[in-house]
Amino acid sequence: MPAALVANPPAVAAALELHGLVKDFAIGLRGVKLRAVDHLDLRVEPGQIYGLLGPNGSGKSTTIKLILGLLQPTAGTCRIFGVSSARVEARRDVGYLPEAPDFYRHLTGRELVRFCARLCGLGGGTLAARCADVLALVGMSEAADRRVGTYSKGMLQRLGLAQALVHDPALLILDEPTAGVDPLGAAAMAGLFLKLKAQGKTVVITSHLLAQMEEICDRVAVLDRGRLVLEGAVPDLVGREGRQALVVETLSPAELAELRAWLAARGRTLEAVETPRARLDRVFLQRLERNGRAPRP
Amino acid sequence: MNAVPFSPRRALLIAHNTLLEATRQKLFAFFALLALALVLGARWFRDFNFGAPELKFLADCGFGAMAFFGAALAITATVQLFFSELEHRTALTLLAKPVWRAEFILGKFLGIVALLGAFCLLLTALLATVLWWRERELMREFPEAFAPGRAISYASVAIAGLLQWLKLAVLAALTLLVASFAQTQLFTVVTGFFILVSCHLQYLAQDAYVRTGSWLGRVVGGALVSILPNFQLFALADSLAMADAPPWSQVARVALYGLGYIAAAGALAVFSFRHREL
Repeated sequence: MPAALVANPPAVAAALELHGLVKDFAIGLRGVKLRAVDHLDLRVEPGQIYGLLGPNGSGKSTTIKLILGLLQPTAGTCRIFGVSSARVEARRDVGYLPEAPDFYRHLTGRELVRFCARLCGLGGGTLAARCADVLALVGMSEAADRRVGTYSKGMLQRLGLAQALVHDPALLILDEPTAGVDPLGAAAMAGLFLKLKAQGKTVVITSHLLAQMEEICDRVAVLDRGRLVLEGAVPDLVGREGRQALVVETLSPAELAELRAWLAARGRTLEAVETPRARLDRVFLQRLERNGRAPRP
Repeated sequence: MNAVPFSPRRALLIAHNTLLEATRQKLFAFFALLALALVLGARWFRDFNFGAPELKFLADCGFGAMAFFGAALAITATVQLFFSELEHRTALTLLAKPVWRAEFILGKFLGIVALLGAFCLLLTALLATVLWWRERELMREFPEAFAPGRAISYASVAIAGLLQWLKLAVLAALTLLVASFAQTQLFTVVTGFFILVSCHLQYLAQDAYVRTGSWLGRVVGGALVSILPNFQLFALADSLAMADAPPWSQVARVALYGLGYIAAAGALAVFSFRHREL
């Protein structure tokens, strides 16, 4: 390998990089402004699933609109794979699913995906096959030739995912992708996101399903009133350093007292004794799977 | 990363989608049916004054229906097709793709113009058919009145239809300009109709501009004359339908006048929409 390359390895552009991002909205005639995003710094590396969390009104959707160039920042910069998001070419490799999507009701699902694919430059003999593939991927093949106006909320989400994926983008930005989707669909979507990650894609997701985000995200950022209040790798944020949980068969009170004494003799304390609980969504999915229902996105 | 150039292909895709949306809605069918009923109805509620005046009445009625319902269609369809993109947030999905905002505006405009073209073509063809059929009947009943030849120049009818289309396209472009910055549909519709009336009365400002002695009158009159197109210039139905076609130079001048206003309104709409926060 040439020495110059070893000394100065090429910098890999972040999939997404926000620096000092600020967005103010004017809310009155007297120059009163509402700060929706407040000096936000984020860096999302390629190939990650990144969760953007926060309560309603915390600035998640505004941040996404700034990333996509749908809003202009008051201050700061935003780059997608090193290209300023103010430029149209920054969006070439981005797939976007808006919050509570509502697509052209006069089109069928297939027509909509085809329209989006052609806008992204797809054409020729592969167009129909690619549209059929993504519709199948999100489980919409059967309903593909129905008008969008007849779709349920969950079907609109799945169609939204299909139109976001059709041009095979490297970065997916999904605003509440599981809102209105039943637990089976949400579980299948989570599986799909992991599959996309395995293909090397970067996925940025906002969601209120924290348990699911904990399962699938590599890193998360928590926003509140437009400010970044927490950011990091999920295991670092949720794990308790210096603590272990042991799951054993139920102990009698005498055995428990003996265990406490044994630990005390070694300078340790038994902090909690709890009955392990299965998560309700897991129980729900296992029961339905046993009943012959396979999750689909 | 390579730049994404402005693409007429993407604008045409958006135009096609806009036309499809408009034709699959009831609004277009409603206006088209009303106008068709008026054109066909003119055959029966005419003043019984046989001969060439009856044909003039039919032509006036036909072009009147086209102008009235066409203007209503141009304003309401433009407003509805533009604001539905914002209210249903389909514009977010569209503009989150590598699509220029100028392509979006051009696509919406071309889709609306295609819709207005279909409307004018339908009504002009129907009017020409009604005129031809009635003229043939009258020629049989009153051959002496038609001794010099046919009273209708069908080329003129076609040109009049074309100029109506151009006028409606100018109105749609001006309405789109307002929509590009307006916050509500109601404001845009009201402003669209205000523009329609003002453009029909523009000749009054032109007269005032010529006659007034005061500098203020000249400034206001001059500004109105420059900003607002004169829609009277497009109303050539009277002279076209009943006589030979007007000189092509006159038609070309009116066409250039209309296209100039469309280009200016379109450029301003793009400029305004580029800075709009979605």
